Amino acid sequence: MDLLTSLKISSSGLTANKKRMAAITSNIANAQTTRTAEGGPYQPKEVVFGSEPARESFSEILEGELQENAQAVHATEIQNSKKPPVLKYEPNHPDANPEGYVAYPNINTMEEMANMIEASRAYEANINAMSTAKSMAIKDLEIGRN
Amino acid sequence: MKLEDKTLQALTASLKFRQLRQELHASNIANAETPGYKAKKLDFEEALARALDVDDQLAMKSSDSRHFNVGGGSFNNLQPEVYEDSNGIVSPDGNNVDRDQEMAEMAENKVMYDATVQLINKKLGLLKYAIGSGQ
Amino acid sequence: MAIENLGNMNKMLSNYSTQDWTKSASIDQASMPKFNELNPNQATGAAAPQSFSEIMASSLAEVNNMQVEANKAIQKLASGQTKNISETMLAVENAEIAFKTMNQVRMKVIEAYKEIMRMQM
Repeated sequence: MDLLTSLKISSSGLTANKKRMAAITSNIANAQTTRTAEGGPYQPKEVVFGSEPARESFSEILEGELQENAQAVHATEIQNSKKPPVLKYEPNHPDANPEGYVAYPNINTMEEMANMIEASRAYEANINAMSTAKSMAIKDLEIGRN
Repeated sequence: MKLEDKTLQALTASLKFRQLRQELHASNIANAETPGYKAKKLDFEEALARALDVDDQLAMKSSDSRHFNVGGGSFNNLQPEVYEDSNGIVSPDGNNVDRDQEMAEMAENKVMYDATVQLINKKLGLLKYAIGSGQ
Repeated sequence: MAIENLGNMNKMLSNYSTQDWTKSASIDQASMPKFNELNPNQATGAAAPQSFSEIMASSLAEVNNMQVEANKAIQKLASGQTKNISETMLAVENAEIAFKTMNQVRMKVIEAYKEIMRMQM
């Protein structure tokens, strides 16, 4: 059985979701950060998922039955979101610009919490898929055992 | 000398196909949030039913290897069908994977896999018993 | 007492003349079922008392039938025509028990035959 391919796919899902969690927790922690090393407010982070063929080398494709059908998932590096910062009028804030507006990162904490729950469920689902594949392989060992 | 009858061959073939199906489920679950990804499904039951021809209903003669394999009992070149699921709700980013349904179908696949292994064991066990003449 | 019992036993034995004994053991070719053309429907269910060979033949046919049915049930499960795993398992288990029982009967028959052959005449 091609247990390795199934495990590779599921583990790619785990890695992608871990990156996503890192981005989410960073966003939640920095929801009020107005000052960063690069200057300006904190930029919300996000990850984008893309699928890629699970079997990479040509020999693997030849051996595999499904060729490129089974897809692993790949999370791009954590990148800055394109959302513009939110301006709030706080003239006494140390980071206020000349007009008295402070730029806050455009982060909706509730949305990030919902994303976090979603990422956690996705992580569990991938764990489930991985353990199913593993127990199928273990079941194979019982063939012929009375 | 081939010891296997049609049933045992069908069981062995279905083992292989269920493993492939598990791969697709893993793929769908891992890509449940990927924009533009469409859930993939594997159907082998139809091809298997044709090759088995239970109840001798179809009884077609096939003289070319490209003909449908009906009742001929050759399970080595069964082609399963992999297709993209056209049903299902498509979310705004183009993804139509229903993660919970994938998990449910994966669980069902696993149970059927276990049942298949057990049936193979039963058949092999009976064969061994007959060979050992019940001692 | 002992002598009376002996007399009774003698009387019982004399009721079975040797001729009768061989007659019931001879194989009547005409009435024996032909194994190649066994039809399970014919073999089962006879009202008249059957000879042992007829009983064996019909039981064999029944056991074979159960195997065929179990195979069909497995094929239906594997090809997805039924999702009832318990039904399939029961059919397979029944067929296996029937087969093993028949095998035990076969062994007993062979043992009985050997026992008879061992009798000193």
